[in-house]
Amino acid sequence: MSAATAAPPAPPLPTAVHLADLDLLLRELADPAARARLRKFGFDVAGLSRLESARARSAAALEPRWLALYERLRLRYGRAVAAVRARVCLGCFVTLPTTARPPLSADTHLRVCENCGRIHYWG
Amino acid sequence: MATTLTAVPSLNDLSLYIPELKTRRKDSALAELVARAHDAGTVRDAGLLLELLRVREKVGGSALGKGVAVPHARSVTVLRPQLLVARALQGIDWSAPDHTPVTLILLALSPAEWSEEAHHAFLGRAVGAARLQRNRQRLLAASSFDAMATVLRELSA
Repeated sequence: MSAATAAPPAPPLPTAVHLADLDLLLRELADPAARARLRKFGFDVAGLSRLESARARSAAALEPRWLALYERLRLRYGRAVAAVRARVCLGCFVTLPTTARPPLSADTHLRVCENCGRIHYWG
Repeated sequence: MATTLTAVPSLNDLSLYIPELKTRRKDSALAELVARAHDAGTVRDAGLLLELLRVREKVGGSALGKGVAVPHARSVTVLRPQLLVARALQGIDWSAPDHTPVTLILLALSPAEWSEEAHHAFLGRAVGAARLQRNRQRLLAASSFDAMATVLRELSA
C-alpha cells in the first residue's frame, strides 16, 4: 500500500491528555495512604491492573516521538500536560506571549510551553 | 455531628442538578452527567472525561451502597471543582456492594492542578453528606428545584 493512501495521523493532544489523566489516577491509587482514604469512603480500588492496561493502551496509541516527549516531561515534572487558563500555563504559571494560540482540533503536533516545556492543553 | 460542605462551591448552582436522569444504564447516566458539566462550562472535553470515568468504574465501582453512587475524577479537562447531583428514582444498576439500585448520584470533579489531598477532602465531604440517611431522603424527596436548592444550601451552611 502506498503512503499516499495512508490515513493522516490522529491528533495527539487528546491521547496525551487521556494519558495524563490515567497517570494521575495511577499515582493516586499506587499511594497506600490515598487507597486507604478511598476505601474508608467506601470505594472499591481493587482493579489496579485494569488501570495499568488502560494506560498501556493509551500510551501505545501515541506516536513514539510524542510518547518520548510525554515520558520525559512526566519523569521531570510528574505531570506532563498543563492546562492553559487566561493565557497562563498552569504548570509554571508564566503568562504566554500574545502570539501563542490554541491548537486547531486537527493539529497533528503537540504545543509545549516555551518556559517549562510541558504540553499545553488550552481551555 | 453536622455535615458541612463549605468548600463545595457548586452546591448552590442548580444548573448542575438533574432531577431525573433519562437513562436507566450506568454508562448513559455518566454520559448525561458529563454532558451537563460540559454545558455548564466545567469541563473542556466531555469525551475525555467520560472515558476517564469509565476507566475509574472498571478499576473499582463508585457505588457506595444504600442507593448512592459518587463517581469522581481529577482531570486536566476539568476547569474547576464541581459537584453534580442527579436523581434516578427508578434506580440504576451500578454494581453496588449491597446490590441496591442507585437512586442518588453525586459526580465530584476536580481539576488536575488540585492535590490528591484536596480532591479527597472534596470527595469526602460529598460522600459524608450522602451517607447520612436524613440527607439522602431529603435530596430524593425534593419535589422542585427550589426544594433541592434549600437542601443544598443547608448542607453548605
